[in-house]
Amino acid sequence: MTAQVRGNAGSLGDLQRAFQDYLLTEGDAFQAAVRDSRKADRATLLGVYRDGYALRLIEALTTDYPGLMAMAGPADFDHLARAYIARHPSRHPSIRWYGKDLADFIAGTPPYSGSPAAAEMARFEWALGEAFDAPDVAPITAEVLMALAPEAWETLCFTSLPSLRRLRLAFEVPQAWQRRAEVEPGNLEVERAAEPFTWAIWRPELISNFRSLDADEAAMLDALVEGRPFPELCEAVTPFTGEDEAPARAAGLLRAMVEGGMIAGFAH
Amino acid sequence: MSTAETGFGLGLRPEHYEEIAASPGRVDWFEALSENYMVPGGGPLHWLDRIRRDYPMALHGVSLSIGSIDPLDRRYLDELKALADRVQPMWVSDHLCFTGVRGINMHDLLPLPYTEEALGHVAERVRAVQDHLGRRLVLENVSSYVTYAASELTEWEFIAELARRADCDILLDVNNVHVSAFNHEFDARTFLRAMPRERVRQFHLAGHTHKGSHIIDTHDHPIVADVWTLYEEAVRLFPGVPTMIERDADIPPYADLVAELDIARRLAGSTRRAAAE
Repeated sequence: MTAQVRGNAGSLGDLQRAFQDYLLTEGDAFQAAVRDSRKADRATLLGVYRDGYALRLIEALTTDYPGLMAMAGPADFDHLARAYIARHPSRHPSIRWYGKDLADFIAGTPPYSGSPAAAEMARFEWALGEAFDAPDVAPITAEVLMALAPEAWETLCFTSLPSLRRLRLAFEVPQAWQRRAEVEPGNLEVERAAEPFTWAIWRPELISNFRSLDADEAAMLDALVEGRPFPELCEAVTPFTGEDEAPARAAGLLRAMVEGGMIAGFAH
Repeated sequence: MSTAETGFGLGLRPEHYEEIAASPGRVDWFEALSENYMVPGGGPLHWLDRIRRDYPMALHGVSLSIGSIDPLDRRYLDELKALADRVQPMWVSDHLCFTGVRGINMHDLLPLPYTEEALGHVAERVRAVQDHLGRRLVLENVSSYVTYAASELTEWEFIAELARRADCDILLDVNNVHVSAFNHEFDARTFLRAMPRERVRQFHLAGHTHKGSHIIDTHDHPIVADVWTLYEEAVRLFPGVPTMIERDADIPPYADLVAELDIARRLAGSTRRAAAE
């Protein structure tokens, strides 16, 4: 078997492109480039690669989307995953990022788009994953802010933790996600919320947190993330509280954000 | 006495982070999967740094795609270099394979044809990667399920010549030699004996799945007897080379893997003593 020149299937590039095309499509032309073994035919042997390709990516999606699996069950999840795989070859060195576009895929692709709760679950779970390995920044403490001179608050701006994500969800996705392991896969029900809520997802240390935000808190956090100074954060809550109550409400909300570990820094 | 340079390691897996940190000294070193730690922050990097304080480490990648005809991914190499600067590993390894073309990553270790063209192509890229990383690269023989009609060389001829031309080292995966030897009906010992002794930097051991007509490298079972026997031969041929067990699925308790590593220690010890007599 050594040093014996065989019929050449073309250049290295031709062979690599043809092999990849074989794994990504249904054609069988590439089979001519490989040999049968004495124990198995080439279609069987190439099948190890073709099957393995899909199974590895399905496994990655299963790891990243346990709530979606709990909603869909293994058969429907497999169907969805294979449809996504057919449309989205991986372009990243790490399989960790493979599922990035799943929520958009569900939202934009019939029949999956018929379940907006599934798209929301995927969006929520991906945000959790992004928070999981976002850059590490220690949150500030409330004491630091208490020590500031009153005039500093006129220009005081904040930066949020790099892990902070905000999602507006029409379904009770986070509540259902917490029940994901308590039900048989396929039986996780996700109710529509009485009204859409904004949820914050962030990771103050090693564990990710999430909670819903009141409407004025969500508006204030939007302004904070945009880098607006504290007086403008007060303006953001004014429509909800009236002008007189706004500073106290904004200060209270800010304190909750700081004590919850959402805020990375400030400047004035 | 074992040291990391001669000793016995395990793959660093999230399931075992806390136990490893709580029980230092039960293995000599850990091999971390590079891509799992090429992230901005969070738990994995926290545990990597924490465990690195107690243990030497090697970095082992799966996406270098050293054999691909795509251009080298400079961003990936920059991230790998940054990780190596952080970890200060004993060495950096990846696989002798390609993982895709046209910018696609198949997340598989696809075999190369063993041709002069491939040899020249890979040797040039290994040298470029080594220049970029500022260190010698260690390349692993993969398990394969097909042989190409185009191949002109054996796998062992290809690897030995690549190591010579590119001045790289070899991660000899004993299980992969066994798997490919069964799948392609060659003599595993011939493969081992063809490896240049001074280039073999590390051994891998792992379990696999036997399908009757072929074996698949699944890393989800304990190491089988035939692979232990081949490992003894590898230890005879390449004494003092560090050994590590890979387990990537159906991951058992940490203590089970430590016990399996003890089998490797025992076999390597008795092989070494027999050779000395």
